[in-house]
Amino acid sequence: MKQFIVLWGKEEAALFSSPIAYVVIVVFLLIMGYSFTLALFIGHTPTLVHLFFQMFVLFLLTVPIVTMRLIAEERKLRTVEVLLTSSATEVHIVLAKFTASMSLLILMLTLSGTYAIVLAIYGHPDWGPIFSGYLGLLLLGAALVGFGLLTSALTANQIIAALLSLSVFLLLWIIDDFGYLLPDPFDTLVVNLSLSVHFKPFATGSMYFSDVAFYLSATLLTLFLSVRALAWR
Amino acid sequence: MSSPIIVVENLVKWYGPHLAVRDVSFSVADGEIVGLLGPNGSGKSTIFRILTGYLTPSSGVATVAGCDVASQSPAARGEVGYVPEDAPLYDHMRVNEFLRFMARLKGLEGSRLGRAVEEAVERLRLEKVLTMTVAKLSRGYRQRVAIAQALLTKPRLLVFDEPTSGLDPSQVIAVRNLIRELGGQQTVLIASHILSEIEQIASRVMILLDGKLLTADALQQGERTRRLRLRISGPEYEVRSCIATVPGVRSVSTESVGATGQYLVEGECRPQLAQELAATLIGRGFALSELCAVLPDLEQIFLELTTRTIGVAA
Repeated sequence: MKQFIVLWGKEEAALFSSPIAYVVIVVFLLIMGYSFTLALFIGHTPTLVHLFFQMFVLFLLTVPIVTMRLIAEERKLRTVEVLLTSSATEVHIVLAKFTASMSLLILMLTLSGTYAIVLAIYGHPDWGPIFSGYLGLLLLGAALVGFGLLTSALTANQIIAALLSLSVFLLLWIIDDFGYLLPDPFDTLVVNLSLSVHFKPFATGSMYFSDVAFYLSATLLTLFLSVRALAWR
Repeated sequence: MSSPIIVVENLVKWYGPHLAVRDVSFSVADGEIVGLLGPNGSGKSTIFRILTGYLTPSSGVATVAGCDVASQSPAARGEVGYVPEDAPLYDHMRVNEFLRFMARLKGLEGSRLGRAVEEAVERLRLEKVLTMTVAKLSRGYRQRVAIAQALLTKPRLLVFDEPTSGLDPSQVIAVRNLIRELGGQQTVLIASHILSEIEQIASRVMILLDGKLLTADALQQGERTRRLRLRISGPEYEVRSCIATVPGVRSVSTESVGATGQYLVEGECRPQLAQELAATLIGRGFALSELCAVLPDLEQIFLELTTRTIGVAA
């Protein structure tokens, strides 16, 4: 536990001492702010549903940028050798990097919470879909960060790690469109791999155990595989 | 000899289909400075990575201070300070910040942490660069920072992988002196492909080639052959014939000819060999102007061992 806390502190410092975190936050807030303003003042719609779908897409695009360096850089610079020959283990390293990356996503979501506050000041929003939307984004973010960590653990090249994550995220975003064309039972199998199919209920205020289980199991599986990938040398 | 701190028995490491370490066995006693010599790719770093817990052996056993490096890895790692090749460090951290981070990671806290960092800084003379980021350090200082982090917990064993690689001559001398100084207090295992470096630091030298340990004590191996240099006046053929008649002489080579020729004689490791040679030559009427022992030459031993091994393999 102590090693995890020490490594987590190091990851937070590394994350927020690089410009990537700030660029990602600024781009995210600019795009979200623009969409929110348009929806509120032109469309007169006091809801965040459409914003959640935009955040979903932005997460798919930005998480690979955040996670690409996490383990690939340690491998390339061979600092992972320094960590693993001290008292740290692969589990400590992966969990510290995961937690630090999640803290960036939580910060982004927290800052976007100002839109909900604006809605509350000027109207009477339905809080159910807002809470479930944020929970969905949090679960989605965890699964994406887990997968990003895995690709970063598989290669010492950050660009390859980012492109691999991005390709898989985009494929899992639209895979349901192809899934519906397949014969039974393959259609159900493929459609259930879709990130967007499992996210839609959260964004619209419905929560199903199966969707929560999908994101949680994807997170745990990718974290486990990341540990194995880091231990494989 | 004191009890061994490292015991390696029948160590084997495969990287996929490539055999990197072949059935290596050796031990290192507490307080020794042992050099591991071998060309690039001979398996030195792999053995070090196994001893420091970074890699697990494919088969065989390696223990550090009685702890198995595979099954008791945390305990074994606690006894080792490791300085990997090229000193991998976090470039964005300040020197002070990096040392404190490593100290915390190694389990130090509170006043023990502060004292350990202070001692390491003082010992490695890092005061001037404490607030600098690692990225701005010279190679010499980077190496010192890497050594400082290895010393934080005062481990019983220090492992250096190519510690002078890429350093300029003055930095090489500084690092060499430092390792020699550390050797007085801790056990040191040092890998290098530079013969002169190992020769100057280590009290025992092991030679590795293609993952195979050729000798666990190259200097002792050299002592099995006595080498003598002689300066004698007389016709070369007659001098060589006379030397060859002395019992125990294995070979004679002419190093220079002239009125007084210089010859190198290799023979059995007997103290009387020099006496017998001198008596025979003087008895036959040759004028012997110089006779001296030639100390074991690590380069020669290395070349002999590696050439013999390559010859056998061919």
